[in-house]
Amino acid sequence: MVKKKEKYDFSLYEYHNLMNQNILVSYKGPIDERIMTVIGENILLVTNDGGDKAKNKIFKVFMELAQNVWLYSAESCKLENGKSVGLGTLVVSECGNSYTFVTGNVVNNADVVPVIEKCETINSLDRDSLREYRREQRRLANEGKPNSGNIGLIQVALTAESPLDIELTPVNDDESFLSIAVKISKDNFRNS
Amino acid sequence: MELENIEIEGSHKNFFTPTVKFDAKTGICELSGESFLEDTAEFYKPLVDWLVEFTTKIKRPIAFIIKLTYFNTSTSRCILDLLNVLKDYEDEGGEVTVNWHYDENDSDMQEDIEDYMIDTGLNINIIPF
Repeated sequence: MVKKKEKYDFSLYEYHNLMNQNILVSYKGPIDERIMTVIGENILLVTNDGGDKAKNKIFKVFMELAQNVWLYSAESCKLENGKSVGLGTLVVSECGNSYTFVTGNVVNNADVVPVIEKCETINSLDRDSLREYRREQRRLANEGKPNSGNIGLIQVALTAESPLDIELTPVNDDESFLSIAVKISKDNFRNS
Repeated sequence: MELENIEIEGSHKNFFTPTVKFDAKTGICELSGESFLEDTAEFYKPLVDWLVEFTTKIKRPIAFIIKLTYFNTSTSRCILDLLNVLKDYEDEGGEVTVNWHYDENDSDMQEDIEDYMIDTGLNINIIPF
């Protein structure tokens, strides 16, 4: 007997059209080192403005934001090799004079306040003060995470030369979806 | 007891392992390539321990050379640990030279090196390539 075709309520065409809006790269799934490295290096193939200076900034910003999801996502999955990695979404888009990097992942509400406070502090500081803040935070212990430098978001803001845009959407009583966006203006590559 | 040299060949696969050459006889210690590791603290701890051993027992002049084209922020914390050992040695009268080579297109790296100088109090020769 032929099985009845099941209705499939997700339109890949609509998703494709949505993703066509200046999106260079989008990814949703487990974020492990392979994914970060492959996407990070592939972004450089599609961001052609600005030469080596641009490539340095784009790669560094992408890698730090992706590592943030890797380390702090409240959703994780176990890979074939037994390792547990964070789940999240990474999107890079190009619009006019800038590239925008957005990451999203679920976080425990209990962990949200320090992240928001850190972003607010980062956005309130000028470059010299931000460098001082990075020095101060780098001196502190790594908060029990063997791969945490404690300064990832500060580094992102310094490298992108732009503030962090943070958005929090409640998912349930215990968790929220945290989205962090940052722009890199192409002017940064032209000015020395 | 002789302090053994450290030689680690760098790789650029899923993670990026830096090339490490710490020579106990010449005192020339080089860290180069890229650093993005599965467990950063675990990788760098033996390097910090080696420097402590060298600077407290062998006590010869040391030339520390960094040529990293990319390192993530967890590595940046470990670099601070390495430089702090060198600063302690210098404060105790040890002869320390630090040469940090960076890609001239990477002005963010130049700023970061300047911040390490402020943070550690070490004089770092900042050399573009």
